[in-house]
Amino acid sequence: MIFLLMLPALIMLVFSFWDINKSKYLFPITSLLILIPSVRLFFLPKPYALWGDYLVIDNLSAYIMLVSSIVAICVTLAVSTLDLHVKISKSENAKFYRFFAIFWIGLTVSILANNMGVYWIGLETATLSTVYMIKTNQTLAAKKEAWNYMIVGAIAISLILFGIILIYASAKPILGENAMSFSALLRSAKDIKSPFLFEIGFAITTLGMFIKMGFFPMNLWLANIERASFYPIAALFSGILESAVIVGFFRFSKIASVINHQHVFIFVFIYTTLTIFIVSFLIYRAKDFMRLFSLSGVEHMAIIALFWASGGIFPALLHFGAHAFLKPALFLSTGILESKGKYRIAGALKGYSGVKGKVFYFLTGLFLLAIVSVPPSPMFFSELYGFGAMINIAKVNKHLLLMIGAIIVLLGLLSIIFYKFVEIYQSMKYEGEEKQKVVYGNEVFALVIFALSLVFLLTPWSFEFLRSIS
Amino acid sequence: MILYIFSIMLLIFLAPLMPSFMKMVKMYLLYKKPISIFQGYRDFSKLLSKEIIISKETSAITTIAPFLVLSPLLLTLFFLPPIVRGEYYVSFVDAFTITGLISLSTFFLMLIGLDSASSFGGLGSSREAFISALVEPAMILTLFSVSLMAKDLGIGQDGINLSLHFPSAHIASFIFAGISFFILLIAENGRIPVDNPETHLELTMVHEAMILDLSGFYLLLIESAGSVKFIIFASIFVSLFVPFGLNLPVILAILVFIAKLFILAIIVALLEVNIAKLRLFKVPNLLGIAIVFAFLSLITFYVLGA
Amino acid sequence: MTSFLIGAFLATLISALFTTRLYGLILWYSLNSLSLALLAISIGFKIDDNTMIISGFLTLIVKSIVIPYILKKVSMKFGLARQITPNVPVYYSIMLIPALLVFTFYLAEPITNMMSSNANYVAISISALFLSLLLIIEHKNIAAKIIGFLTIENSLFLLGTTATNGMPMLVELGIFFDLLMAIVIINLLFKSEELS
Repeated sequence: MIFLLMLPALIMLVFSFWDINKSKYLFPITSLLILIPSVRLFFLPKPYALWGDYLVIDNLSAYIMLVSSIVAICVTLAVSTLDLHVKISKSENAKFYRFFAIFWIGLTVSILANNMGVYWIGLETATLSTVYMIKTNQTLAAKKEAWNYMIVGAIAISLILFGIILIYASAKPILGENAMSFSALLRSAKDIKSPFLFEIGFAITTLGMFIKMGFFPMNLWLANIERASFYPIAALFSGILESAVIVGFFRFSKIASVINHQHVFIFVFIYTTLTIFIVSFLIYRAKDFMRLFSLSGVEHMAIIALFWASGGIFPALLHFGAHAFLKPALFLSTGILESKGKYRIAGALKGYSGVKGKVFYFLTGLFLLAIVSVPPSPMFFSELYGFGAMINIAKVNKHLLLMIGAIIVLLGLLSIIFYKFVEIYQSMKYEGEEKQKVVYGNEVFALVIFALSLVFLLTPWSFEFLRSIS
Repeated sequence: MILYIFSIMLLIFLAPLMPSFMKMVKMYLLYKKPISIFQGYRDFSKLLSKEIIISKETSAITTIAPFLVLSPLLLTLFFLPPIVRGEYYVSFVDAFTITGLISLSTFFLMLIGLDSASSFGGLGSSREAFISALVEPAMILTLFSVSLMAKDLGIGQDGINLSLHFPSAHIASFIFAGISFFILLIAENGRIPVDNPETHLELTMVHEAMILDLSGFYLLLIESAGSVKFIIFASIFVSLFVPFGLNLPVILAILVFIAKLFILAIIVALLEVNIAKLRLFKVPNLLGIAIVFAFLSLITFYVLGA
Repeated sequence: MTSFLIGAFLATLISALFTTRLYGLILWYSLNSLSLALLAISIGFKIDDNTMIISGFLTLIVKSIVIPYILKKVSMKFGLARQITPNVPVYYSIMLIPALLVFTFYLAEPITNMMSSNANYVAISISALFLSLLLIIEHKNIAAKIIGFLTIENSLFLLGTTATNGMPMLVELGIFFDLLMAIVIINLLFKSEELS
């Protein structure tokens, strides 16, 4: 089973040493293989021990594994025409695939991990391999941003490990070596003798994760990096890397909520509100697609963290799934939109002809509107349920009026973002001159898969499954 | 009481010996023909016989201040930790008094530099103020840290306590205090990484710039003040940070003490030969390390108990 | 012995903060790792924990010999600037470092009431983390930033060794693996910089 999960990445790693122009057509087919184990994970009895106590499957990790597998498949599919859109040498292309494979292995490990240490090792491997993926773009800006990411990512990841060790130190007297395992920690969180130590550890870990997702004090580095690197990297960041980070946040905050839910909620609430406040104005000032989408990714991550901390597990997961499908799709289509003339928003959607062009045009417009929660989008439902969860927690705490005020402020901030996106959509559709543009079949196919997955997310079965995750 | 007076006489006798000894070691290491170890006494007698020339521009300070430079340091000699067991010593003088007396001497030295109104004098005084302002906090912190380890605020008593119970439980903070005090010893006495008293290069000189206008007896006073200052620092260093040999028989204890002083002088000379002089604006880095180490010594004493 | 080595760890870290030369910085990092390795080995022998002894020897070889050697080779090969001046003036550092030390002890004070033995070590490790972050902040030079990252790694290891008496073997090996991978990536980044 564990071998099957790693197989597509391993094939990619091995075949990237062959002639890359031939083998890159092999990868989309082999990456489809990952669907077999990740769908099978759903039908196994939970919790299923994949590798001792280190990798254990529960409903949460099965769901996130499926989502990130679909993203990985679509990105592999769309990347095979990367060299037609951007200038990339053959050896750099091969290196891109090689480090993509390492990245994928690392993230699979960290998504499935039941052990804090194993989780961290996977995350660190993924972070370091992304550094080189950014570098495959041979520009000065990309070089600078690769170094930047090396430093920021290393700090964030070190903070996470620091917090993990503190948590381990707080639980070791009662659990021994088992204090590294999430499930054991969750079972005996009530008995931890020094909750203060645990909470310092949790705060430091969460700080590291929030830095990695681009939250409040560190808002701009993510946008800079995604701007400087090639577009699939942005898709991988928002689709898979942030899933792995947020799954860690889910697990850690679950344990911390058992110890003191009030502290967790206040910490996350203040942090995410500040983030959304700053990010919404940054989005309003954004002048190109990449920055716009990556800042909106920060905003959505903040919303997911807020919903989860408010106890709305179902809306958080729904929002997470919708975001994980929509954002990579948008980043991939950005790569296509920008291939003729960078930074041009006006008229970007014009000039696509033929069946492929029409489908691309239709889907991109749809995704753009779906990301700002225009009704049929899953984001609309998740935000409804999520604000409901926030009201519910306020009822228990007797701060109802304050919470309603906070929700109104949040909605105001979200409406700024909504306004900006609608304006951009109109500018893309109606302004600017018309030029002939090309889109390739594999890219359209990737976007179609994303659209189908989104539709599947809205079906009653998936709702039922998400509600069953606790 | 006789031992007390004898030990002070010994220190005064050794004072001119140390700088010429260090110079001798340095010249030997540089393959030069070494000067005699008694060069300090020769300079002393030569300066004694020279006539005094005083610039017209100076006020009364130039004639008074050289005495005031030397006298606080001579006073400090009476407060140092004992060198022999059973000797009379002053137990109540703490870090503030010692640092304050040394600063008083430095203050009058700076006044001499300013008084003659030459351009070099002002330059030297401002540099001296710059360095000694950083030296003082580090020195107070270091001596306090050692006092805490020796469980008494008096410096003289600390020497006894440390020789009776070496603080092996607090070895970390003891070593940090030692490092810090060694840096101060180098900085405050104008040895090489901070100042080079042998040159008269306007870019680098600190101590020499202040006393350019002095001659004869007044120069003698200042030079002796320099040697006494070194012997004060050296004897505090050897009795607080190398607290061994105090409990031996009298003659042996005195010999061990003198041997420790000479070993320290050799170490300083070796350091001077091997290190280049720092630029003036790099000096705060060195003294900053001294301050931080002094603080670290206090912190480790309180927090780690080590 | 433990306390002395922890003190040596802090002392080398603080000396690194005042260094203005790249090779000096690498030397201080190496001494920092050396004190850490000796600490791990001595604690390992004291509590009779083979994992700790092994990871101590790994630290000794990897962090205090191999990594400084590679870094020095890399910096000589690619001609990195050897003069690295901190952005934060020394006057501020003199005040900032004691303030950080006091702040972390204040922060860790509630832990002292809960944990019996090793609470102060937690405080020391947190202050080492902050000092390493200061090392990253105060330098613009990329090599110095890398040393800062490596000292963060060291302070993590210090926390793992002193506060929890060692982590599970798998995790420690994984951390070493990632550290080596970081060094490889750094080497690759410099290499491609030279090619382009």
